Amino acid sequence: MAQDQTSTKRPRLAAVVTAYKKLLHPQHVVDRLLDGYGWNGTFHHPAMDVVSLYVDQRGEGDLSQERADRHPTMKIYPTIAEALTLGTGKLAVDGVVVVGEHGNYPLTEKGIMKHPHFEFFEEVTKVFRAGGRSVPYFNDKELSWNWDWSKQMVDTSHQLGFPLQGGSSLAVTWRVPSVEFPLGATVHEAVSVGYGGMASYDFHGLETIQCMVERRKGGETGVEWLQTYRGDGFWTAYQDGVWSPALVKAALSRSSTLTPGSSTFTDIFPTTEQMRALVRDPIAYNYQYRDGLRCTMLLMNGLVRDFTFAATIEGRPKPFSTQMYLPMPDGRTTLASFFSPLVYNAEQMFLTGKAQYPIERTLLTSGLLIAGVDSAFQGLQRVQTPNLAAVNYQPNPESTFWRS
Amino acid sequence: MLTRRRFVGYSALSSAMLAYRPLLRFGLGQTPAEPAQRPLRLAILGSVYHQGSDMQTMADRFLVGYPYEGEWRIPNVQVVSVYVDQQARRAEAAPSAYQLAMTGARVAQGGPSGRGAAGAQGSERAAGARRSEAVQPPEELGPMSDLSEARCQQFGFRLCRNIPEALRCGGDRIAVDAVLTLVEQGDYPSNDKGQILLPGYDFFQQCAQVFEEEGHAVPYFNHKQLSFSFEEAQSMVKTANRLKFPLLAGSSLPVTWRLPDVDIPLGAEVQEAVMVGVGGFDGMDFDALEALQCMLERRKGGETGVKAVQLLEGDDVWAAGNAGRWSKDLLSSALSRSDTPLGLTVLDGRTQDLAASGVLPQLVKDPAAYCIEYTDRTRATLLMLNGAIMDFNISARVAGHGLVSTQFFLPPAPNQTYSACLAGKIEQMYQTRSAPYPVQRTLLVTGLLEACLNSRRRLNQRLETPQLAVSYRPPAESQYART
Repeated sequence: MAQDQTSTKRPRLAAVVTAYKKLLHPQHVVDRLLDGYGWNGTFHHPAMDVVSLYVDQRGEGDLSQERADRHPTMKIYPTIAEALTLGTGKLAVDGVVVVGEHGNYPLTEKGIMKHPHFEFFEEVTKVFRAGGRSVPYFNDKELSWNWDWSKQMVDTSHQLGFPLQGGSSLAVTWRVPSVEFPLGATVHEAVSVGYGGMASYDFHGLETIQCMVERRKGGETGVEWLQTYRGDGFWTAYQDGVWSPALVKAALSRSSTLTPGSSTFTDIFPTTEQMRALVRDPIAYNYQYRDGLRCTMLLMNGLVRDFTFAATIEGRPKPFSTQMYLPMPDGRTTLASFFSPLVYNAEQMFLTGKAQYPIERTLLTSGLLIAGVDSAFQGLQRVQTPNLAAVNYQPNPESTFWRS
Repeated sequence: MLTRRRFVGYSALSSAMLAYRPLLRFGLGQTPAEPAQRPLRLAILGSVYHQGSDMQTMADRFLVGYPYEGEWRIPNVQVVSVYVDQQARRAEAAPSAYQLAMTGARVAQGGPSGRGAAGAQGSERAAGARRSEAVQPPEELGPMSDLSEARCQQFGFRLCRNIPEALRCGGDRIAVDAVLTLVEQGDYPSNDKGQILLPGYDFFQQCAQVFEEEGHAVPYFNHKQLSFSFEEAQSMVKTANRLKFPLLAGSSLPVTWRLPDVDIPLGAEVQEAVMVGVGGFDGMDFDALEALQCMLERRKGGETGVKAVQLLEGDDVWAAGNAGRWSKDLLSSALSRSDTPLGLTVLDGRTQDLAASGVLPQLVKDPAAYCIEYTDRTRATLLMLNGAIMDFNISARVAGHGLVSTQFFLPPAPNQTYSACLAGKIEQMYQTRSAPYPVQRTLLVTGLLEACLNSRRRLNQRLETPQLAVSYRPPAESQYART
């Protein structure tokens, strides 16, 4: 099936979301398309129109009607199919924006929320198939909580020939300092240190690592195995050097939210004992790629409230490190501006018909999250990941993070 | 709540490590910046040492290190003496032990005691004796408690009664290699312009007097403006030149990270700049003006000084925009860099074009515009927009480069890691005995702020500023945090 070329007129978009409430991902993403946002030193109005909206869960705090009233070009539809066909019976939009994050959905037995990314995808691609025409598809955050479904989403996008782009804003937000992983470099080890819990912010930590190390020599080769560490096992592994304490230190030295380990100090590097006291439920996903690279995603709730990255790169005496800066609307800011580069990259896909970064990155990180939870569920055993060993891809040599 | 005694007990394990610097470096897996050199001996002079004060934030960086260029940097500096002005004044104002004894009152505890590693044995004994006589319960360490005593015990520096003592560490000759001063709001009086009469000049003069008496001067850092008075600030710069010691001053805003990582291209022609920020008069306005200045000084011809200023308030601010006194395009561009729009964004999370018609006057009840006319005809305006945003952003129209805009990134409390960027510059000056950027920048901004507050007092009149003919060349390399 040929992909629709719509370079001459303003693309019309359908938005398909879980719940449209204050500070939920759908609000951040769709509001930026409707109202514009600060970008590149100007208030940017996207050169496209959201013409339809499907909201899976409404109720108290729902903002969708207010948005539709202020933006009459956008109509609310009761089904995904109608949002895509605008009631014409066939695909009538030039792009689809899917935000499957947030909302209330049941949990799997392992505690992952069954966000309806795949169900939304199925509904959308049903319309694509029916009309024999597909359009670019943006999918916020992970693909699905179910590996087979994640894989199927990517395979379907290839079969039907439409660009599919997704992932976390961590991959595209500001970096402090503003540095890119050197393309083709040999990397020995990498870590990310972040916060939040399993089956939520772990995805952000995994994307933090992946958007960097996919640029290494040879490109992405896939992941062989993964092991999760928690509780005392985490601290034993830390002390035994299962991951490099020097890299953790380098990453933490990029944090701007390090909790002081000593009373009356405001910015002091904690001892390991102080870290243990601060971090009640530490989590690490330690995993090995097929080419031998070892990476560790650490969640250290209580110690930091930001995401940092550090890697040992051949030929560099010091670790390569940066912070993936999230201007969090938790009192630090009022706007979650890290959605701006995510939406800008989506706009670029809608305008050019090309994904700005490979969906295989998100496939791999979606799978790593599932493997991390599986390992925890299996008594923190190492799990082999033949499915992830098969995810091979080359990165976009151009940088797509926020720099201007 | 943590008592002082218990706090000292808790920190006993780590205090040995912290007091002995080679151990600290070993413990943190760091190597000293200059392993072959002995640590520089540092005197820290400030107003108040309580949690969150500028003095606590910055002095601690020289005690326990700070994040810098991807490492937790342990500076090759040994803090040997500390002077806390408001503690010392309080102690001085308190009745003496003799007076108390005569009236039958009990001897009070606290105040600078002259103890510490470098302290004289006699005074140490005296302090110990005083403490044992005290019958009051241990003082609670609340958020506004003085921390200098606790830090003195933990790190073994000398807590001093006066500035000359801090420079001489109890001896009769200068016994420090560098000075760090952080004067800030405590209980100092204000003048009729609303300026707090911070004793930056007094601190400096006392040091300069010691330097002059002994014919030996050491590098000196002065946090934020040099003085509330431009005349005094000028005198400080002249004295530093005469006595030939490096003088560095200013706030963190010029050296913090920028989002995005951009500067005015060196030597480019700048037509106009608009800075947006928040804060009160004689507060963050200084930091904002300095951030503006650190970019504009890079323009073609370097800095040549300021011809006139005017501080507008209320509806006159918007009227000036309508009359083209400041550019709405630049305002819009600067605001596009903000991550903190208020109003409807707070209500329901939406993005907003704050520069759109009518939005700002609704949100900002007391706007202020600091209008600056440079002698080379470049124009700049600082708009203080309390109620509309909470961060600091700039946009400048640069010939051949369009609009150059960025946010001066201020990471959150308590860490305030932006001041670690400044600590790095201060340490650099101490080690190299050369200021990484000219103190004339801070001198000019000290004068700019004073002139703007004069304009305000004179019913917001435009004032010619012949005294601000301050010329200097900027460093060729950008000095803000980038690596």
